Amino acid sequence: MERRLIADCKTNNPAVWRFTRRFIVLSLLYGALSGLSTYGLLLWHPTGIVIWLLAILPALPIAGAVLLTARYMAEEKDEFQSAVLVQSLLGGIGATLVVIIVWGFLENYAHFRRLDILMIWPLYLAFVGISYGLVKARYK
Amino acid sequence: MKNRLRVLRAERGWSQADLAQRLEVSRQSVNAIETGKFDPSLPLAFKLARLFESSIEAIFCDEN
Repeated sequence: MERRLIADCKTNNPAVWRFTRRFIVLSLLYGALSGLSTYGLLLWHPTGIVIWLLAILPALPIAGAVLLTARYMAEEKDEFQSAVLVQSLLGGIGATLVVIIVWGFLENYAHFRRLDILMIWPLYLAFVGISYGLVKARYK
Repeated sequence: MKNRLRVLRAERGWSQADLAQRLEVSRQSVNAIETGKFDPSLPLAFKLARLFESSIEAIFCDEN
């Protein structure tokens, strides 16, 4: 029984493992580049194009994560798992858009605090996570 | 879509995991198809038909 439960929780899907491994690497890279960018801008007082380069450094792993998702979709042979991911991503994108638009109107007309654009990525990840849980529950 | 997967599987004494292994998909996929919550693609439906030595129409029921 216990072995069965463990087997149900674990995945032996190679595409999922590759995606997870690469996503962890990108997350670590994001942390490292965010630190480098912040300290670089504060300590080195760069000028010209170096400011631009340092500023966009942390965005590169995020762009990589988007490409990584596309790669996972191409590598995933299990169509059900692909469908679950697509539905989760759509749920995450939809929820993020709705929250941003609602917040935007609240900023304009109700003088809400300005939403930091950098919050969009963690917000999106959180909504994809919630959406994934809901989609999985639907198929149980 | 309604189907006879559970019956066909039981006739052969296969668990969902056994069938999943034969189809090279996850056990969750087999469960979702069996319960009619997920409709397989045509290639997967053909794979199921070949595995059970049957036709697609004999496994899946068109509800219309």
